[in-house]
Amino acid sequence: MSEFYEGLAEILEVEPSKLTSDLALDEGVWDSLAIVSTIALIDEVYDRTVSADALSECRTVGEIEKLVGSDS
Amino acid sequence: MKSGTVAHIHGSRIAGVVSCVPPRVIDNDYFTERFGDKVADVVKMTGVKSRHWVENGVTTSDLCARAAETLFERLQWDRSSVDALIFVSQTPDYRLPATACLLQDRLGLRPGIIGIDVSLGCSGYIHALWLASMMIGTGAAKRILLAVGDTSSIMNDPNDRSTALLFGDAGTATAVEASEETADATFILGTDGSGGESLIVPKGGFRSCAGHPKFADFPSDILYMDGGEVFNFTLKAVPTLITETIMASGIAPEDYDLFLLHQANTFMIKHLAKKAKLPAEKVPINIDRFGNTSSATLPLLMTDLAADTLKERRCRIGLFGFGVGWSWGGASMDVGPLQCAETVTL
Repeated sequence: MSEFYEGLAEILEVEPSKLTSDLALDEGVWDSLAIVSTIALIDEVYDRTVSADALSECRTVGEIEKLVGSDS
Repeated sequence: MKSGTVAHIHGSRIAGVVSCVPPRVIDNDYFTERFGDKVADVVKMTGVKSRHWVENGVTTSDLCARAAETLFERLQWDRSSVDALIFVSQTPDYRLPATACLLQDRLGLRPGIIGIDVSLGCSGYIHALWLASMMIGTGAAKRILLAVGDTSSIMNDPNDRSTALLFGDAGTATAVEASEETADATFILGTDGSGGESLIVPKGGFRSCAGHPKFADFPSDILYMDGGEVFNFTLKAVPTLITETIMASGIAPEDYDLFLLHQANTFMIKHLAKKAKLPAEKVPINIDRFGNTSSATLPLLMTDLAADTLKERRCRIGLFGFGVGWSWGGASMDVGPLQCAETVTL
């Protein structure tokens, strides 16, 4: 998960050490640009695409992880 | 092939390309008042530093007509020798008649030529090249003018920062003619309309949006873009399109001189090029100065960053257009030495 966490920390503009599953996705940061960047990150790290709509509904980092891990 | 059916076409070449942009340059400062600090975030992703926007009343056909005038002059083409005109745009002059008909008259081309409009955006230039090659292949035409461009600024939602800063305006003219001397061109074209509502101007056509869950209360004649879905589409479609087009051409990737990708946004171009394993130095990017000019980005690359190379010698280039529709097209063809490849201002 480290490469993914590093990338996500950059997108969310937080210190990598502060990034945990519980971290809430603040509305001010979790915007369409962050979502597109996260789609690219997931594609790069896991070679898979996730739905932008599903991603936009995520409220915590843990929910993004769950989305990446799911088969949908 | 997953991307679409492969077509190998023989017997035509591009003689010259001219792009025309409006003189009004809009820098990013223009958006600071409305979007504040967010401008920097958007620019970091899209890479657009400035773009050209038309003044009120100027249309795509005005830009294309100016480009065509310069093109005819440079090539010394006798206008009566043009057999067909294909206008590709999402911003025609009128709902009817077709803008190609109006351009035929305006440019002094002879009555009786073939004139058609094609309603495609980012993939439109590839479709136009394919159509022109097909027309030449059937013997229906020997010389064809492609007028390709968009004035997306007119449809911009000024309050939507994901689109307001992204798009620029440009109109282009490409001369295609019969030639036995060039190598075969390879095309792959495809469509997936399931993405229709992700990039759309929902109003202004003939379908009512009353009761539509997303667009019932949407302002008239304004562009809606779901950036995340657009990106997802390109991730799924474009690397495969690039790989399959190169494979179908039978030419090794390292023997290509240039790969011209639709200038969607800088982040996306770089990501897609990397995913398709294209060397960055062969993938020119000029979206920083022009924005995303929709159907015009590929010819605008040819008359801008690729112009010197294409005027100097014959090059094998890959061209890839993708977007609104969803619609996509890949082409592998020899281009050059072009008699003319230049960008003019209206």
